[in-house]
Amino acid sequence: MAGFSLRTNYCVWPAWVVLVLLLAGCGGGSDQPDPSLEGLRVYRHSTEGTPTSLDPVQAATKYSNLLVINTYDTLYSYRYLARPYELKPNLAASLPEISADGLTYTIRLRKGVRFIDDPAFPNAEGREVVAKDVVYSLQRHFDPATRPQGAWLWQGKIVGIDDWKEAGSDYSQPVEGLRALDSHTLQIKLVKPFPQLAYTLAQGYAAVVPREAVEKYGREFALQPVGSGPFRLESFDTARAVLVPNPDYRWAPVDIYAEGYDPDTQSFSGIEAIHGQLPPFVDRFELAFVQDTSARWNSFTKGNEIQIASLPVELADSVLQSKQPVVLQPEYAARYHVKSDIEAGFVYQSFNMDFPEFGYHPDPIQAERNHALRCAVVKSFDWEARNESFYFGLGAVFPGIIPPVVPEFDPELSRDSVTRDVAGARQLLIDNGWNADNLPELLYGSTGGVRPRQFFEQFRAWLVEIGYPKKKVKLKQFASFGDLNKQWRESRLPYIAVGWGLDYPDAENTLQLFYGPNAAPGSNSSNYNNPEYNALYEQAAVMQPSPERTRIYRRMNQILIDDCVSITGLSRTAIPIWHREVIVYPSSQIIGGYYWPYIALSDGAGGIRQAQTESP
Amino acid sequence: MELLQFSVRKLIAGVPLVIGVTLISFLLMVYFGPDKTFDLLGKNPTAEQIAEVREQLGYNKPFLVRYGEYVRELVTFNFGASESTGEPVTSLLARTIPVSVALALPGFILGNLLGVALGLLAAYYRGGLADKFIMGSAAIGMSISFLIVIIAFQIIFSSSFGLNLFPVRGWDVNSIGDYVSYVTVPTLATVFVALGYNTRFYRSVIVEEMSRDHVRTARAFGVPPAPLFYKLILKNALIPIITRIMFSIPVIIISGSLLLEQYFGIPGVGKATYDAIVTGDQPVLKAVVALTAILLVIVQLLTDILYRAVDPRVSLK
Repeated sequence: MAGFSLRTNYCVWPAWVVLVLLLAGCGGGSDQPDPSLEGLRVYRHSTEGTPTSLDPVQAATKYSNLLVINTYDTLYSYRYLARPYELKPNLAASLPEISADGLTYTIRLRKGVRFIDDPAFPNAEGREVVAKDVVYSLQRHFDPATRPQGAWLWQGKIVGIDDWKEAGSDYSQPVEGLRALDSHTLQIKLVKPFPQLAYTLAQGYAAVVPREAVEKYGREFALQPVGSGPFRLESFDTARAVLVPNPDYRWAPVDIYAEGYDPDTQSFSGIEAIHGQLPPFVDRFELAFVQDTSARWNSFTKGNEIQIASLPVELADSVLQSKQPVVLQPEYAARYHVKSDIEAGFVYQSFNMDFPEFGYHPDPIQAERNHALRCAVVKSFDWEARNESFYFGLGAVFPGIIPPVVPEFDPELSRDSVTRDVAGARQLLIDNGWNADNLPELLYGSTGGVRPRQFFEQFRAWLVEIGYPKKKVKLKQFASFGDLNKQWRESRLPYIAVGWGLDYPDAENTLQLFYGPNAAPGSNSSNYNNPEYNALYEQAAVMQPSPERTRIYRRMNQILIDDCVSITGLSRTAIPIWHREVIVYPSSQIIGGYYWPYIALSDGAGGIRQAQTESP
Repeated sequence: MELLQFSVRKLIAGVPLVIGVTLISFLLMVYFGPDKTFDLLGKNPTAEQIAEVREQLGYNKPFLVRYGEYVRELVTFNFGASESTGEPVTSLLARTIPVSVALALPGFILGNLLGVALGLLAAYYRGGLADKFIMGSAAIGMSISFLIVIIAFQIIFSSSFGLNLFPVRGWDVNSIGDYVSYVTVPTLATVFVALGYNTRFYRSVIVEEMSRDHVRTARAFGVPPAPLFYKLILKNALIPIITRIMFSIPVIIISGSLLLEQYFGIPGVGKATYDAIVTGDQPVLKAVVALTAILLVIVQLLTDILYRAVDPRVSLK
């Protein structure tokens, strides 16, 4: 390069220009509030998942459900602050009138409730919600063209609904058990008593849609909610949803005591400030979908969001001073509120009883050996370690499948089935002739990713401790949850590790997971089929809540524990965390998403921030 | 006229490529891709409901019939609606591609400009301290995972634990100021990683050109450095540079940058494509694959035309 002198190397000046431009380009501003939002009360929230469809018939995830129940009306909803969760009328004027035989429900609708204005309606003006809309909305679950996901809630339960589907889902044809008696009265006739019916009418699946909008938007209806709920959707994509209050909603002053306020546990949130006040207290809701933990936390601490659905487990040790009770480190406590929110659901693992290596076997002796093998695996499972490793150590470990969040939970039930007993497990295997050579191969299916593999490795290590050869416990990972789900539904895996979110706070919703007729492809992925259990389920399923029904539920629970069909269970604990300026008592449960209309922002002096602009 | 004839010939020659790419991709989607059926079913489906959904998804049809439908969709450019959201695929692409392009473009341009500039500097001072420093830095840039760079830059530039200069995430772009604000950190991360690869590539290209006989002869005749660089070195080095840049374009337009979009919460086509892959959303995947193949054909054509523009020896035949 001797021919080039430093004095004449102006041919390289573009390099320096580019460098300077790059550095100059770094001078962008930080987060500046959008000037158009100035003066507005904006509430920003983030969740770890993204809703895909906002059509109520497809509101299967809690992310979709959250938006559906806040943009549409359901006949019933849950009281904001009451724990355990309690139903209250929403679009319905009152709780249902139930006939003496429990087969006929008469539901009266509030008058004057209107769908939001939308081009789907004549003159783009929303019309009144009537009983026919409820009939139509429930019928859609039995129309295959809508790709419904909630039909199982009412299938075989409402008189004539299955025949209506069989006949081609013709909306011009009536359904005997689903009728609008007049414009504001709905009648539902049941094949047999279904005490949980009112609960199902509080789910996003049962949200009331206008037929005009469904027909106008076709499949795009899944992205364009046209409801009568407290909010209307302003925008929605894979990163964010923006909602604004529905000005025509039946806003009424909040009575926190009627909503179940408990000053002992809830006063810290400042919720008393909204008592007697007329919502909406916020002018704009922004819901960000942030999958990555660090991005979600960075964004939250910076103030982009003022609430996140749950503290990331990786940060628990650095953010929490104490886990029991949940207390923030002082530097965080000065800025944020936090609460412990036990899951309305649980995680559990089951054997697929269709596999003769572990489950049912025509030879009674082998069947008994299989039972011993299952019980040994149950004894090997260390729920406390699982809780500590993956759930803050805050999860509630409980025996059986009746989780703590439902009223039928039995706190006195023996905890032997969730207490690790390695020696007992080893002895059980020896006593029943199991050894390293004859133990069957156990194939553990999961989705891809690090966390499922960690679950597996931990589980395998426990099995190795009781004498299971490491090479006989194998992992098979699937590309998507859909693929894994397919394996379960087609009964192709001998072992199922899964979670269940409660659709309603009644143990029937979890007990049906082991009801024989619900076997794969139904929700009973373990294909458990015990005649005694089935008979008890059928007996209890038609009973109204009572001590007798609770006794039956608990008996069923004990049968499952004794049969060692499932390794269960643990209700996870979410830790919602929010900036102190927000007045809220949040719930991250699928049945608890009705709290949005009550969210307020503090004025810093014990009151709520008032609107500075004309209320929308 | 020659150009037009060439273009038509080239586009016709691209048809087998498009068919080959779509056929192989569709084969993989159908036989090895995720099954969407169980994503669309509720918690307690019956065999009848499963059959209904499979029928709706077209899973029961023979492969060739399904591929025929794909070709028809390709010709009409109507890929139907996403199986996940119901959004028309064309609308989804129209919404997300501009975002991805806007996100990736500054990093792409700066990464290449800086790559050329630094490659030039390194080549210019070949064997010297500057060369070693630049190449050493390039090796470091190439060695660090893009994911780590994104997280580190997010913390350093955007979080309250760092400089807090830019938004952590989001894409609420209503003005140039917003755009600069949202795009800066993703651009810095892109440039940081791309620079290593680009600099090494451009340096080797420029060094090769600088060693050619005609350059040495020109230098011996006393041609000043600037004309020597622009007329003799850079111009001849443009062929590989154009190739590299042009063939990156389909990736930028269609694939977006999944990691950037995911970590910065940007609703681009990269994230949409990734979601479609993991959930088996075939209408979206089919559109993305087809569009990529078509863009490749167009890019090939444009590349050939550009070759001709920068090097008259290249013939459009």
